[in-house]
Amino acid sequence: MLILGIESASGQVGCAVGGHEGVLASAHAGRGRRHAEALGPQIDFVRRQAGIELSELGAIAVDVGPGLYTGLRVGIAAAVSMAYALRVPMIGVSSLDLLAFPARWTSRLIISALDARRGELFVAMFRRVPGGIQRVADPRVCTPADLVADLEVDEERTLLVGDGALRYADSFSGLRGIELAEQGLANPSARALVQLAHARAMREEFVQPWDLEPVYLRKPDAEINWATREGRA
Amino acid sequence: MSQTRSTVGVTPVGDLVLAIETSCDETAAAVVDRARVVRSSVVSSQVDQHARFGGVVPEIAGRAHVERLVPVVAEALVEAGLSGHELDAVAATCGPGLIGSLLVGVSSAKALSLVWDVPFVAVNHLEAHLYAALLEEPDLELPMVVLLVSGGHTMLVLMEEHGRYRLLGSTLDDAAGEAFDKVARFLGLGYPGGPAVDALAVEGDSSAFAYPRPLVRENPATLPEDRRFAFSFSGLKTAVLNHLRADPDAATADVVASFQEAVVDTLVTKARWAVEATGVGSVCLGGGVAANSRLRERFLDMADGAGVRAFLPPPSMCTDNAAMVAAAAWWQLQREGPSPLDTGADPNLGLRLVP
Ligand SMILES: [Zn+2]
Repeated sequence: MLILGIESASGQVGCAVGGHEGVLASAHAGRGRRHAEALGPQIDFVRRQAGIELSELGAIAVDVGPGLYTGLRVGIAAAVSMAYALRVPMIGVSSLDLLAFPARWTSRLIISALDARRGELFVAMFRRVPGGIQRVADPRVCTPADLVADLEVDEERTLLVGDGALRYADSFSGLRGIELAEQGLANPSARALVQLAHARAMREEFVQPWDLEPVYLRKPDAEINWATREGRA
Repeated sequence: MSQTRSTVGVTPVGDLVLAIETSCDETAAAVVDRARVVRSSVVSSQVDQHARFGGVVPEIAGRAHVERLVPVVAEALVEAGLSGHELDAVAATCGPGLIGSLLVGVSSAKALSLVWDVPFVAVNHLEAHLYAALLEEPDLELPMVVLLVSGGHTMLVLMEEHGRYRLLGSTLDDAAGEAFDKVARFLGLGYPGGPAVDALAVEGDSSAFAYPRPLVRENPATLPEDRRFAFSFSGLKTAVLNHLRADPDAATADVVASFQEAVVDTLVTKARWAVEATGVGSVCLGGGVAANSRLRERFLDMADGAGVRAFLPPPSMCTDNAAMVAAAAWWQLQREGPSPLDTGADPNLGLRLVP
């Protein structure tokens, strides 16, 4: 099955196409917030490079977040629209799963940490299991200090991966047994998305475009303020 | 050997345009045939989600657009009795509006145009409002004067021909719709304020209180040229609020009716001046405030008195919808061809004006 993957949850935007032969073509832009400008031409480019027609696609995969809201929505809007128009199912993958995926060979505990802005991180934890890695805790929002406290308690050999881990590298540098993954792995990638989505497609873990749910992890500010004011926080 | 040709002006442009509108708090999709026959027009309003905040919350709007996008587009196609492959173009509003909301529609329209292999057209929301009247009146003759009044804009435009707009004047501060919302909020009439004011004003006496008509004179020539077709509603709004603070027992219906009359009087007077100054044969109303019943009534009277034809879109086409976007897109496609796939959204996009 051929899968097109769209990834736009962080400061980067990318698109890839692949299947059982692996990734056939990919495109990636790493700078700025111009996700919407980049994505349309990327989809067209990747299709041509892979030598396929969009009608040959069997599924659309998309990074459902958590991530930076506006960028995330650009990718999800494009992905659900393509799936709807092609009448194919979708595979939604967490940005934090995508971050951990390229690090799956390590024997360490993996913590993926995306920069959530406002001094916070989107965080999830993964452990190696036969045949890959498994998420051991649900994605959450926390401050770098919260994460440091957890790491101090656990004292486990841990690999931290993601642009959030790098941004607050100083907070983690004094801790024992902590290693930081390099810049090249700091953002979720569309290539990893297609690989991971293919494995899930084999297990038929599909969702229909109208059922796909973005993962924001935070309520809109206005709702938080309103709930606080009404004493319903 | 095949040759690459420019499609602009060479390939005849198809007639069926699907448009998506997500610039503010309505998720809308429509299919329009040849910029005149509305095959479908679906509008999913988020007003309930924003009401308790007294205005549109951008992040809530962005989330709601993503949620409603596919169902709304699907409904527009089903209602039109078409499959995506029968379309000739896919359009979206690319500005002005809320950036996070605009991007949802733009991104979706591009993806659909890639799958169906048809041109993508990026449309200016203000231009789309100008086209709302032409949906019902395809034979409408240009040039004409358009009075565009909404929550975000108040302007008088001379539409010389398709794609050629001359700005006669716009608001120096608040938009007319904004003034309606603020007065309504002060009076506790709820959100959105326009329809509430319209309904309550019917029960009031519009001559009960003499509120100012900003920048209106007996003789327009006594106003400086750059103010002649300009609007200013901030002072009027303040006058109403001051009056209410000084006279809290004033009958709400009378206040609302008098306030509405002052706004409408100002809008209609300037539209009449614009008609007289330009010598056009038709005048048209557009934008959300164009749904106001008193404005519609007075606008028709004005056109009658000036001896010109008046065009009023039905109220459903005055507020944000995708049919007007599809109509503007079709004309734009004729003139300029498709928009590039790397087109973004511009929250501050203005009407492209002739100098
Ligand atoms: Zn509008």
